[in-house]
Amino acid sequence: MRRLPLVTATVLAGALALTACGSSDSGSDDGGSGLSVGSAYMPQPVSDTMAAGFLVITNKGAAGDVLTRVTSEVAGEVTVHKTVGQTMEEAKSLDIPAHGELVLQSGGDHLMFEQLKRKPLEGQKVSVQLYFAKTSPITVEMPVKSATYNPKTGH
Amino acid sequence: MRKKLFAASALLVAATLTLSACGSGDDSDQSVADVSVESGSDKAATVLDQPFEKPDLVLTDTQGKPYDFRAETKGRPTLIYFGYTNCPDVCPLTMSNIAVAKKQLSKADQDKLRIVFVTTDPERDTPAALGKWLKGIDPQVVGLTGDFATIQAGARTLGISIEPTSKDKNGKTISMHGTQVIAFSPKTDGGYVLYGEDATVDDYTKDLPKIIKGQNP
Repeated sequence: MRRLPLVTATVLAGALALTACGSSDSGSDDGGSGLSVGSAYMPQPVSDTMAAGFLVITNKGAAGDVLTRVTSEVAGEVTVHKTVGQTMEEAKSLDIPAHGELVLQSGGDHLMFEQLKRKPLEGQKVSVQLYFAKTSPITVEMPVKSATYNPKTGH
Repeated sequence: MRKKLFAASALLVAATLTLSACGSGDDSDQSVADVSVESGSDKAATVLDQPFEKPDLVLTDTQGKPYDFRAETKGRPTLIYFGYTNCPDVCPLTMSNIAVAKKQLSKADQDKLRIVFVTTDPERDTPAALGKWLKGIDPQVVGLTGDFATIQAGARTLGISIEPTSKDKNGKTISMHGTQVIAFSPKTDGGYVLYGEDATVDDYTKDLPKIIKGQNP
């Protein structure tokens, strides 16, 4: 799956990638900036008010970057949340280290979609724009999975 | 790791360890002295040698009626979880995992099982708000709200530490959820099995039939 377009790779990588904290086999090569996004999914939310989203940003480049802002067509506001113990804190920005990755996964850091304009349903896709300090914005078509989707098992 | 979480008992240390942020389950399943975990397995369930007593919780259900946890769940297989509805990730995932697993039980077993969701954020989680949220998960789940101090004290007897909802420096509301689901035996009414956040639908699907009978998963 080396040269797949971002969107497709995102879906395919979902089954493989989020095995553990530091696995780095996710994502696709975007052929430029060094940043690529993989393993994106949104569990179908319970309510029509908020949802979570997960993805892995891999940085093959020699320079670090920073995820500074996230927007989406489905939400009035998207924030990045860091899980700290049993609570969550909103993070202003998140580092993506050189030759490293930023992992947003269930139980850890995640995207939080608020002021939903519609309730995302399983099988749909949600368009998400990621903005960085250096790299140009990346758009991810985030698939909506079941409420109990587990990337480790792929179902 | 976390601020003074488990005042209660060393038993809970094991549970905490398996719940670290990146809990991949690959390397964190060592059993600790007080806890029986089948060796060589990566089972989600932790069977306690010393079960918890049921907390004395009298709260308000989603209909606005008083609900006495001990009385209502006496002799019933029961799962309890402490969380809040404005929680995007772990709370809905945990409850959905249980709800999906429950649907794979026989109708008779489904009716025996009590699933109780106690809010850690009673200010925002009114009976109506809880009811609406739980309807999206499983209408049979009992949702409880009430006085935070009562909820906190009840949680503490199960080794679950929660703090009241507060505002961070940006004015964002922050609530705290519990770290585990506790299963109570219909035979003893003791809380004898713990599940961490890593427990999946498959784990619950495999274990619930045993919990219904009060057996060790």
